[in-house]
Amino acid sequence: MTAQWQRALAMLPDRLAAHLGVSAAALALAILVAVPLVLAMAARPRWRAPVLAVAGVIQTVPALALLALFYPLLLLVSQATQRLAGFGVPALGLLPSLLALSLYALLPLLRGGADGLASVPAATLDAADGIGMTRRQRLLQVELPLAAPIVMGGVRIAAVWTIGAATLATTVGQKSLGDMIFAGLQIEDWALVVTGCLAAAALAIIVDTALWQAETGLAQRRRGKALFGLGIIAALAAGVIGWDWQTRAPASAARPVVVGAKNFGEQYILAELIADQLRRQGIAVTVRSGLGSAVAFRALAAGDIDVYVDYTGTLWANALGRKDAASRETMLADLRRDLPRRHHVELAAALGFENAYALAMRRTEAQRLGIVSLADLAARAGHLRLATDTEFQQRGEWAALQRGYGLKFARLTAYTPTLMVRALTGGDADVITAFSSDGRIAADDLLLLTDPRAALPAYDAVLLVGPRRPDLAAKLAGLAGRIPVSAMREANWQVDRDADKQTPAQAAAWLAAKTGLGGR
Amino acid sequence: MPPDPVISYRSVSVVRGGHAIIDDVSLAIARGDFAALTGASGAGKTTLLRLAIAMVAADAGQVLVAGRDVATTDPAVLRRSIGYASQGVGLFPHWTVAENIAAVPRLLQREPAWIAARVAVMLDLVELPRAFADRLPAQLSGGQASRVGLARALAAEPKLLLLDEPFGALDPETRASLGDRLVALHRDQRLTTLMVTHDLADALLRADRVVVLDKGRIVADAPPTVLVTHPHPAVQALVASPLDQARRIAALVVP
Repeated sequence: MTAQWQRALAMLPDRLAAHLGVSAAALALAILVAVPLVLAMAARPRWRAPVLAVAGVIQTVPALALLALFYPLLLLVSQATQRLAGFGVPALGLLPSLLALSLYALLPLLRGGADGLASVPAATLDAADGIGMTRRQRLLQVELPLAAPIVMGGVRIAAVWTIGAATLATTVGQKSLGDMIFAGLQIEDWALVVTGCLAAAALAIIVDTALWQAETGLAQRRRGKALFGLGIIAALAAGVIGWDWQTRAPASAARPVVVGAKNFGEQYILAELIADQLRRQGIAVTVRSGLGSAVAFRALAAGDIDVYVDYTGTLWANALGRKDAASRETMLADLRRDLPRRHHVELAAALGFENAYALAMRRTEAQRLGIVSLADLAARAGHLRLATDTEFQQRGEWAALQRGYGLKFARLTAYTPTLMVRALTGGDADVITAFSSDGRIAADDLLLLTDPRAALPAYDAVLLVGPRRPDLAAKLAGLAGRIPVSAMREANWQVDRDADKQTPAQAAAWLAAKTGLGGR
Repeated sequence: MPPDPVISYRSVSVVRGGHAIIDDVSLAIARGDFAALTGASGAGKTTLLRLAIAMVAADAGQVLVAGRDVATTDPAVLRRSIGYASQGVGLFPHWTVAENIAAVPRLLQREPAWIAARVAVMLDLVELPRAFADRLPAQLSGGQASRVGLARALAAEPKLLLLDEPFGALDPETRASLGDRLVALHRDQRLTTLMVTHDLADALLRADRVVVLDKGRIVADAPPTVLVTHPHPAVQALVASPLDQARRIAALVVP
């Protein structure tokens, strides 16, 4: 337990500095955009409603979606600049986070600015004009100081929102406190989640308080109060800059290989395993984990990451756009042939296990009912209850199962993954959806039903290598076929379980030793 | 031949929504005049005043201030040369009394020492204690705020003073004492004063010339002594109520 907290605290300073840095940059960018818009709205009140409406619509887009949308958009921009100017803009990491977060901060800034300027009494404005102030003098000497409390209220809301939403920047590969929250949620490491959340909340409260102190101090001409607020802000800025300077890699060093990982435990473990394999060969490596599923493949194709593990079924549908059913071997062969042609991505190796959708039952129950395969299940399904995760019933796999076996259950309920397993072990469900490499299969003594009619697509774990470092394919060739599903399940269980929980790096080391890839 | 008028309206019209709110008005305010603009609400009093500081533009005709056409004068330069006390006073709430009074001299980039001395003089002139210099407008009574507004209008030594309802919502006693002060300032500072008021009694008691507007036109322009018996129905309507009040109050006095 203490080790877990120590690990969380060790991750904290780096993530905190990155989080504060990206939040401050996004807020600054948003303010730069908001100022001319607010002045335009003040000069032309007719613009007020449409400008605020557009900002309001942006606000209704969930921040997570906004971040995800910017990645493909920036990729297009990057391809265009590559063609026109010979260099691409980075589509992953800082830039999409900055753009999405600053768009998100616009509404409170615009509303605070517009409301603040509208709050200045008409008699005061009339007096300002009447004594001969120019528009500029009126704005700087009268309107802005009087609007300041409401304007700063908007800035404070924007700051708090940005700090909160910046946790989501992890999904587009920007380092933030979200790294700890996402990783912690996936591997159920509550020390990481709590540390990340508390740090984000504390940061929001400190920044809000500092801005408030600075603003009221300036308005009330109380120098101590103003200096206190400004001092905190300056100290935070100095902290970020200092940390960045201290940890920055020397400019001359070549960019290290970037190993990517999607946002679940198995991916974290495999990324650590790959990183370890490369380090053993003397290659500098960093890991970018917690990437959104759609982001990871695009990031590889664009060269933002260099290697990661994906699954054949996913690539078949998303990267090749195939809707037809095919055998395991055909899928692998077609992906090997078509991925380089269409995406300049190489399928370097199949790791040897599948992480496929499957249906599972308690082993004792299955034996009692004499069920081994999905065909056996079809005969009994009318008396059984199926619990699925929240997305399964919308997926092609469910349609394929119904088509292939004519499955009709007595009851169908959707749960979050953890509750779904509890429903099964607690007797509230007889059959659940499961992933074939899930660590709980062995731990909870579950039976995965076989699929004799091959209705479900294969999800072989495969190593993908991007166009920037094609040499990695040869360097990682040793991983081909080396990881049996039983070993992967055990490694997954080590990070999933509550008792004696291991870190992804520890599980990766265990997996390497177990599979003869060079343990410690 | 009298000297050039300080303000000269020449066939001025202002049209809003197809309707003339100032309708072909010609009027000259001579140096040293204390003129009151009065009339029922909506008669165009404030609009006529604001034409002189280019806060309203004429749709037809010409407005000259000190012989120059306001339409072709830089509005900031024009306004800084005129003392203007706006309706509702409009003190800058984030500035102290001293900073409010110093506003126009600072716009004119006068020497700080001159400004500081001038603020003290102005406080004396409007009969406010000098200790009020550091107060914020929120700490003033209505009458005190009106005095600061007057001090702000006069701080840069203008020759022309424009007042829009200077007694606004003041109680009768404050009204009387501020009114007396205003008349004294007009005389001592050799000002030309144009004052908008909806209250005929204020106009009759303070001004030496009363201009009555009705539906955007001038219907009377006379000294108070003559105006009281002016035959125009709009003037009689304005005069009736204060005269009636005065008679009824006089009747209460037991002989």
